[in-house]
Amino acid sequence: MRLSEVTERVSGAAARVPRSVYAVGGLVIAIIFPLLNMAGWVETAWLRVGVISLLFVMLSLGLNIVMGETGLLNLGYIAFFAFGAYTTALLSSPKFELRWPFLVVVVLSALIAMVAGFVIGLPTLRLRGDYLAIVTLAFGEIVRLTITNLQDFTNGPNGITGIYSPRLVGEGALESLGSTGPAAWLVIDKPVEYYYLVLACVAVTAVLISNLKNSRIGRAWNALREDELAAVSAGITASRAKLLSVVLSAGIAGFAGSLFAYYSNVISPESFLFMQSVIVVCMVVLGGMGSIPGVILGAIVLQALPQVIRQAAGAARSEFEVYRMLIFGIIIVVMVIFRPEGLLPDTLWRREAHEVDPREQEKTRQSLFDLEEGEKDLEV
Amino acid sequence: MSLDHIVSVTIGGLTVGMIYALIALGYTMVYGVLKFINFAHGEVFTIGGYVAAFTLLTLGVNDGMSAIAVAGCLLAAVVASVLVPMAIGFLVERIAYRPLRGRARIIPLLSAIGVSIVMQQSIILVFGSKPVTIPTLALSSASIVVGGIRIRVLALVIIVVSAVLMAGLTYLVKSTRIGKAMRATSQDMEAAEMMGIDTNKTIAFTFIVGSALAGIGGFLVIMYYGSLKFDAGFLYGLKAFTAAVLGGIGNIPGAVVGALVLGMTETYGVSVDLGFLAWFVVAGLVLGLYVQMVRIPRRRLQHIAEDRRTPEYERSLLNVYRLTPYHGVKTLLAERTDALLSVSAEHAVRLMAGNVFLAVVAAVMFVNANVRIDTRWQPVIAFVVLMVILMFRPSGILGEAITEKV
Repeated sequence: MRLSEVTERVSGAAARVPRSVYAVGGLVIAIIFPLLNMAGWVETAWLRVGVISLLFVMLSLGLNIVMGETGLLNLGYIAFFAFGAYTTALLSSPKFELRWPFLVVVVLSALIAMVAGFVIGLPTLRLRGDYLAIVTLAFGEIVRLTITNLQDFTNGPNGITGIYSPRLVGEGALESLGSTGPAAWLVIDKPVEYYYLVLACVAVTAVLISNLKNSRIGRAWNALREDELAAVSAGITASRAKLLSVVLSAGIAGFAGSLFAYYSNVISPESFLFMQSVIVVCMVVLGGMGSIPGVILGAIVLQALPQVIRQAAGAARSEFEVYRMLIFGIIIVVMVIFRPEGLLPDTLWRREAHEVDPREQEKTRQSLFDLEEGEKDLEV
Repeated sequence: MSLDHIVSVTIGGLTVGMIYALIALGYTMVYGVLKFINFAHGEVFTIGGYVAAFTLLTLGVNDGMSAIAVAGCLLAAVVASVLVPMAIGFLVERIAYRPLRGRARIIPLLSAIGVSIVMQQSIILVFGSKPVTIPTLALSSASIVVGGIRIRVLALVIIVVSAVLMAGLTYLVKSTRIGKAMRATSQDMEAAEMMGIDTNKTIAFTFIVGSALAGIGGFLVIMYYGSLKFDAGFLYGLKAFTAAVLGGIGNIPGAVVGALVLGMTETYGVSVDLGFLAWFVVAGLVLGLYVQMVRIPRRRLQHIAEDRRTPEYERSLLNVYRLTPYHGVKTLLAERTDALLSVSAEHAVRLMAGNVFLAVVAAVMFVNANVRIDTRWQPVIAFVVLMVILMFRPSGILGEAITEKV
């Protein structure tokens, strides 16, 4: 049996298991994981790895909307993450002595990222795929460099420190109800609490996106990805649909960025390098463009697995980082050449990814045409 | 601004522009033939620089050696910085790009990004993550004084060498057999194959030539600046790509023109004080407005039936167009009943967004009074140029060699 047949069978068998089984199974594992920590079997460091992995799951889910569903490559995706993170950091840190309520800040962060997505998407979305990728890359770099250079506003390369922990209910709200003192459980500051907060957000995002995927707009996105001309002739307003996908994905990135800022307490431009965008792209490519379970798997594999391996090998951080990025690069090339549909592919993408050269198609069509002509001749 | 300053800044801009041009030629040639952005091209440039530095360091070049020995070392470095990138360009095309030919546009681009990361990390693994530095030679710090203005010899060398290489490339593409094959392949690959051209070989040759030019660029940069960082290729590559797009991608003279314009813009942008830069931003805004409000509507007007296209009618339509940002777009346009309307309402919104974006960029620069446009902003200038050119005129200054729908 050839290797491709083996993978074909395995993925075929995997595809027959109902989706809900994966979803529930994944969620159960994710919920149980911190309990292992409380039981003392797993170190707290792993919980931190878990939080970061979940944030990357969220980012990849967001990028998947533009990249997987709509087929637009965005190489500056981390910029929207930065918008969310910096909005949060400015509104909830000693920098400007502000402490806005958690929910307001999160929503505002997502909204500002969405506005950024709108402003950048509106003039650029008419560009074709590869140019769009480069424009988004330039946008991402401009955002990062501007953040670094605007010293007064963002503290430049030093970043913003001392971001307050999120408080679920506003200050004074409980006191007015007769409670004494701030309730400890209302302030999220332990890794376990962050973990569950982020997990809940990821779950909500995943449900939202999977519903969108099967909705009218989701089908419009897929149609645009597969053949823009045909989609437009079928009555889809290409610019509106594309813009919606960019804005939505930007919003999710902003949301994740806000959570990231709260979680890490300190943010600096270092976290928003071009490489981070590439890592998210890599997660989507590995997992399978357009496939939600695939993207989640890709993010977890690429974020958590290297940490596990590093721990096992006991390697130094900087040296390990080089190998990690090297392997990421190889993964992209190998996946794109041999399995462009990803590990857990989406059925539609799979068909498209293996699509032959248009010229080949032309030849096939030509030969079919010839056959029809021949039959006609016979009848006469 | 004194004349001395202007001359030295201009020469600086020319030098940087020529380096960008050497890299941009690789992008533009590959794009002309394959319609593919070779994202890993910047890393080929870095490898050229590193290999040159490595050769020089291995040979132990220093000023104590005789002039002939130094020349020999430099020659060896040039040869190494050409041959190694050539081999890499060939291999990368063979391994990572050829299997993907004919797939959707973003698939090979993804592969190229992967290749670029692999190359960058390989450089770190082989040479370490510290910048590579070569010993200062008398040649690299020598300067001549012309009319009271001090000019580095190396800057002149870079300008001359690049110009000669570009002339050579033009000869290669215009007048040789393989150049003819390249042009044929870029026009129509299938037809070229039918005429007996080995397109695979031609494409491989294109990659090799482009990589060699980038390698020489790497050598010149390491000689000029004395050191190079492992991630320098990312920025140089992007700027060179900007230059290629600016001149019109796929267009060889365009790459050179674009590179020189970009080099000048950057150098003037950071060495002139804010007052001048304000002018620059305003000029960009006006240009953007002009292109959007006058040029593009004129093109749209061509859709209107011949008999209705009187000058008065066109003028009135253009007036409507100019007013759109200030009035309710749809109500005003609804009075007109032709094909122009559905297009231009959407276009007007885009137009406003584009200008809002430019205005925000300008506002951010001015409101924050402490922001001085110094060298830290240099990459930003290049990126803004890239975005503006792609948004408003993706075909570049001289136009794409092969016109196609953008």
